[in-house]
Amino acid sequence: MSHRISLFQMIRRSIMHRRARSLSALLAMTISAAVATALLTLYTSLDAKLHHEFRGFGANIVITPAKGEKHFADGTLDKVQALAGPDANAAEFGYAVATTDRGTPVVVAGTDFAAVRRLDSWWQVTAWPTPAETSSALLGQHAAQFIGDENNVQLTFADRPITLHGAGRLNTGGDEDNRIYMPLASFTAWTGALPSVIELQVPGGAAQVESVIGDLRKQLPGIKVDPVRQLVEGENRIVDKTHALMYAAMILIALTVAISVLATLSASVLERRRDFALMKALGSSTIHMVGLFVCEAVVLSIGGVMIGYILGSGASSLISQLNFHTATMPRLSVLPAILLLNVSIAVLAALLPVRLLRGLQPAALLKGE
Amino acid sequence: MFLRLLIESFRRQRRRKILAGIAILLGTTAVTAMLALATTIGDRIQDELAVYGANIVVTPAAEQLDVQVGGIDVRPDSGGATLKESDLKKLRGIFWANNITGVSPQLPVHILGTTSEGETLDVAATGLWFRHSLSNGGPAIVTGAPALHPLWKLTGEWPKETSPTANSADAVIGSALATSKGIHTGDTIQLTPSPQNPGALHSLHVTGIVATGDTVDNQILLPLSTAQSIAGTPDAVKRVEVSARTKPEDSFARKDPDSLSAKQKEIWYCRPYANSIAYQIREAIPGARAEQIRRVEQSQGTVLSRISGLMWLISAAAMLAAAFAVSAAMATAILERQVEIGLMRSLGASKTSIALLFYTESGLLAFITGAIGYIIGSGVAAWVGIKIFGASATPALTDILNPVLLPVIVSLSLLIAIAGSTPAIRRALSMEPSSILRTGA
Repeated sequence: MSHRISLFQMIRRSIMHRRARSLSALLAMTISAAVATALLTLYTSLDAKLHHEFRGFGANIVITPAKGEKHFADGTLDKVQALAGPDANAAEFGYAVATTDRGTPVVVAGTDFAAVRRLDSWWQVTAWPTPAETSSALLGQHAAQFIGDENNVQLTFADRPITLHGAGRLNTGGDEDNRIYMPLASFTAWTGALPSVIELQVPGGAAQVESVIGDLRKQLPGIKVDPVRQLVEGENRIVDKTHALMYAAMILIALTVAISVLATLSASVLERRRDFALMKALGSSTIHMVGLFVCEAVVLSIGGVMIGYILGSGASSLISQLNFHTATMPRLSVLPAILLLNVSIAVLAALLPVRLLRGLQPAALLKGE
Repeated sequence: MFLRLLIESFRRQRRRKILAGIAILLGTTAVTAMLALATTIGDRIQDELAVYGANIVVTPAAEQLDVQVGGIDVRPDSGGATLKESDLKKLRGIFWANNITGVSPQLPVHILGTTSEGETLDVAATGLWFRHSLSNGGPAIVTGAPALHPLWKLTGEWPKETSPTANSADAVIGSALATSKGIHTGDTIQLTPSPQNPGALHSLHVTGIVATGDTVDNQILLPLSTAQSIAGTPDAVKRVEVSARTKPEDSFARKDPDSLSAKQKEIWYCRPYANSIAYQIREAIPGARAEQIRRVEQSQGTVLSRISGLMWLISAAAMLAAAFAVSAAMATAILERQVEIGLMRSLGASKTSIALLFYTESGLLAFITGAIGYIIGSGVAAWVGIKIFGASATPALTDILNPVLLPVIVSLSLLIAIAGSTPAIRRALSMEPSSILRTGA
């Protein structure tokens, strides 16, 4: 019992007495823990964050009715949404070719504006129609040039006329520019056409997309479910490569910091050759003294990990706030790895100079050579 | 004397110098590697983003409204306005010509014919460039549809630009069409003469099958010149896809250039925004409407800026960590030598000359190891880059060693080493020489 107290006291004394040296070792351990925490926390949430950015590309699955069918059965969208999960965005579209008052044919699409707005974030719209207005439409910027009065858009489909009110203009640089979009309910009431395309965006990589496609094909037999290949493969490639890059960066930085910490700590052990010699002369064994050094290093490294974990979590949250504009919560799951890493570095740093110390003669050292 | 002290210090205290040197070396290696990766990441990710295809589309301005649903033209092809293929070389002459990495003109036509097995064909076809050399007198770029669609999977060969004989041309068949009509590579499709194609071109030779995963799977792909002669419209193209390296859009990019002052407009014009490049294309090609494809361009910009932003922030973190590590090592190296300092002072050296000696040592060490760290770090960055992104060609030495980084890295390591030494030197100098010598630290 008394032996244990004396070890504790020795460590406490050693740390308190050489405050500057202990502080610099603590600082080194704190930095290594902080850097490791920040990088690991970022690394574990990187894929989710990157996949989130890719949501801007819109639908990665396109669903069309079975061969020979013109439209979906009732409730298909709800089934798709239920199978794909609440995080997925889905929007349905119905298409018809109508004629403007000037006699130009134009594609009219019926859809749910709220769903499209979530799904197709790249649509540049001057003003979205409000859900209450059943006759308000979005005019593709190219289609708008073929319409006389945007507030009074007169269209005819199979001799049935309709008057729409253009709420805003749509600019995408794609096919959408040539179309007129209107609420699905009024579209179906006017043309009798039901939705014929569901665009679905499943968050995540190729594996998630494939599994959703598999589920959809199993649960909705006959219906055509196709991935948008360039989006799925492109996203996968870029996320994988960024992931690998981050991994390389993490190893590089961790190595740098670890070796620097190792150098700093070993130096501080080496520098205490005199203490070592004195203790040896007073009769303590080598193992006992090495134990003391190791304990001291472990205490310092645990202290460093505690401060470093807080600082590192703060840094990772700052980085993701700056870069991804979303917060990253501190992850307790990275703590064991950080602790293990830093304690091993500390133990290694304390053990490294032991061979060198063992060869030294206490008498010579104490004489000051 | 000063010089001798300096040389002897490096000769005799090798262990201490090596320790501090290793810290600086590793720090500069990591920082160089991260900075070298961060500066090239933009181009590399942009190359990867090429799978999303073109980000600018050029169409005839006076064109009629497209009536397309799901990639299928609902209305029969009515001719309409076209662009001139011969105008496309002007793309190589615009201000941001070097940022244009791919050009793919298209001309849709309709094909009537019979396969080798006697099936009748009545399908859509598109005339394209496959490996076209586009030049405006200066250096040429070799481009075409396959370059803009890296995910197209071809079995066989792309058609040759010029037909081997006057009445036969090469073609590639979409995989869905090939399966449903039983067409194989090497087959010949006999064309039915039509008013536009009075019969000069008799047959198409199938050189390959292409799987694209979209509506092109149901089409025939032809060389542009063949499509033009089938449609009877020489030099015509209906739509041009352009892939360009762009700067992510900011609020300035969205401004209407014609509403800006002359000076602001020039700045706008000289930045590689998708909008500015589209504006320059409209200027260069008469009667063209050029627009960014927002689905591709907007999201690409975000992804690109997020990934490169992440790399820069991590580089900053690496720099900070390296700075702490280096200054800790420098401080240790000097604190260890308190006895030496005490001895020098008791022998009459002034504080200034001791500080100068230590600073010079630190500086020299930082300079040499910083330069070595720069070389190793550049190598590491090149190796990591090749491992992850693959190398297009053997990289030249000038690509690996970024000359801008050298002074940055060396001065950073000098700065950090000197800043890291300062507290330790001050501390050592503030202590009484006699007390240092007595306790021996």
